[in-house]
Amino acid sequence: MGRRELIAGPNFSGRSAAMLALLRDGQFARECFYVGPYAEAALSGLSSIIADEIEIYRAKPASVGRAIFAPNDFELLGRREPQTLSGGEQVLLALHCFSLSSYGAVAIDTALEQLDPANRDAALGYLDPRKKLVATVALIDNRLPPPLLGWDCLELTPGTKDFDCDPGGVVSDLSQWKAPALAMRGLAFTYPRGRQIFHDVSLTLESGTAYRLAGPNGAGKTTLLKLLVGVLAPSDGEVTLGGARYRPWRDGNRAIALATQNPDHQWCGATLAEDLARRRAAFARETHPEFLAEQRIARLARSLGVHSLDAHLYELPLAARKRLSWLWPLCGALPWVMLDEPSIGQDLSTRLRLAAAIARLTALGYGVLFVTHDDDFAGRIPHRVLAIGERTIRATS
Amino acid sequence: MTPNGAIAVAVMMIALLLSGPGPGGVAILLVLGLAFAVIEVRSASLIALRRAATVVLPLAAFMVLVWVGIVGRAPSEIAADMPGTRAAALLHVALICGRLFFIVAVIQLVVLRFAHLTPLQFIRALSLPAGAKRLLVLTLSLIETLRHAIDRAHVALIAAGTLTRRFSLRNVIHSWRLVQAVWLSAVTIALGRMRDKWPVENTLDLLDRALENSNRRLFAGNDRIWLPITMGAAAVILLADLFPGAS
Repeated sequence: MGRRELIAGPNFSGRSAAMLALLRDGQFARECFYVGPYAEAALSGLSSIIADEIEIYRAKPASVGRAIFAPNDFELLGRREPQTLSGGEQVLLALHCFSLSSYGAVAIDTALEQLDPANRDAALGYLDPRKKLVATVALIDNRLPPPLLGWDCLELTPGTKDFDCDPGGVVSDLSQWKAPALAMRGLAFTYPRGRQIFHDVSLTLESGTAYRLAGPNGAGKTTLLKLLVGVLAPSDGEVTLGGARYRPWRDGNRAIALATQNPDHQWCGATLAEDLARRRAAFARETHPEFLAEQRIARLARSLGVHSLDAHLYELPLAARKRLSWLWPLCGALPWVMLDEPSIGQDLSTRLRLAAAIARLTALGYGVLFVTHDDDFAGRIPHRVLAIGERTIRATS
Repeated sequence: MTPNGAIAVAVMMIALLLSGPGPGGVAILLVLGLAFAVIEVRSASLIALRRAATVVLPLAAFMVLVWVGIVGRAPSEIAADMPGTRAAALLHVALICGRLFFIVAVIQLVVLRFAHLTPLQFIRALSLPAGAKRLLVLTLSLIETLRHAIDRAHVALIAAGTLTRRFSLRNVIHSWRLVQAVWLSAVTIALGRMRDKWPVENTLDLLDRALENSNRRLFAGNDRIWLPITMGAAAVILLADLFPGAS
């Protein structure tokens, strides 16, 4: 008989450690497949193409009599590098590999939060004890309120308060700033040797409005953010900022504060002090020095649960790093704020406070563009939806 | 042809080139390489040549600048304390770059000969001990991790306004920050896997199973043609070097 274990509790209650302890005790499962919070801990890292990732896990003989979880046709994508998939697609690939493997159990640490609603439903359906497709599952998920039918729940009590966080405190001293309109005209983008993501996209993003980028996993949400901050260059079209031509891919990012989906894709220093010193130097002409004054930044970091600017970023817990990744966009130094899946890995109370902070930032006149699959979180921020699909972006509400 | 056979042929050709054969030996190696390209790799050989040129041309340009433009003498002339000429220096550069071009082209020909195989299938087909195969996969994994870390660091530093996507003076000034960010990213990616995913899953044991090769034959197919031909060529080249008067 299989077992379902939902490990619940707020951030810093020790859920990830409890999950790993459960996996090591041997009674939960003899061997277990593990899907970590971000892509680097979801895939094996031993393969340079998707076909090899699947091959490593494929059970021999090929059929183990288990239903195969295949929301995407990964055989068709076999020659692509796993790292070129979006975060959500990498989680789907991991689950696909598990379904082909001989593992009797799977442990998933918040990874399902990266999936779009359809894929999330499919994944949860696959894990559903009533369907008996998977024997044993351990799951951490901030958006699944216990109790769940057929699941045992390991409810952990709040742990350390060292990382208590108040995103509202970060935006409390900001004043009005009308962001210049950000417009795209005929924007097109195709990945080298890959598929076309955007074709002839024309769109104007106004200040004082929050826009939610919505679309299925792999549609191009993160790609659009990378285009606007200059990590990628469009193959055609132009971007304007306040009516003037804006080419961050050529001249550098000058207006957009980005928080990446995986916070570790964001740091440009080993400590927060180093990271912010570099941003201070890079944006000296674009922002008022007061925004990044050391005393203010230290206070904002405390609001997000980090009490020393000299703390080594990678020594902080992942959930604390995620919270700290909001500091740069929420400190108000730049007129446009872009947040890629900001609520992933965060408990309910933190998500609510973050939503309130983003709503305040928008009300002050900042431009906000955010990506989330969490409807409840998005519903707490007055916003317009930008739906990505079929190589274009449509403003739908 | 098997990957074992192709690698054996390539290793022999490269070793012969590095043994410093005379003009006749070089001609034999060129003919052998050309025949391998035409028969085994066909039109994809042009890709191998292009990749070899991409690797060698920047080095050649730099060496021409240093040896022909600045030094103006070949190393042998410097050692003999002779006045020397730029033509001799140019010949020295051509020999070194020609050898490197041949080596890269031969390696690329082998890679392209088995382009239909995935990297895992290629390594699985090799007749090597399990530990050596695992080491090869881990080496490829490290390369991929570094590439991924470079991508991550680029995103971070471009979004933070420190670097630009296109070449710029700012990039040159801040390049050391990119090195630091890549290093930090690579270490954390590798640690993340080794601390959580691999121990829980015993992923490396799984890898060993995935690399097991049920076909135990060392050589097969065209290996039986190419190996004797290459060994014959090796014998001729080595004998010609040992008994220069015989030719």
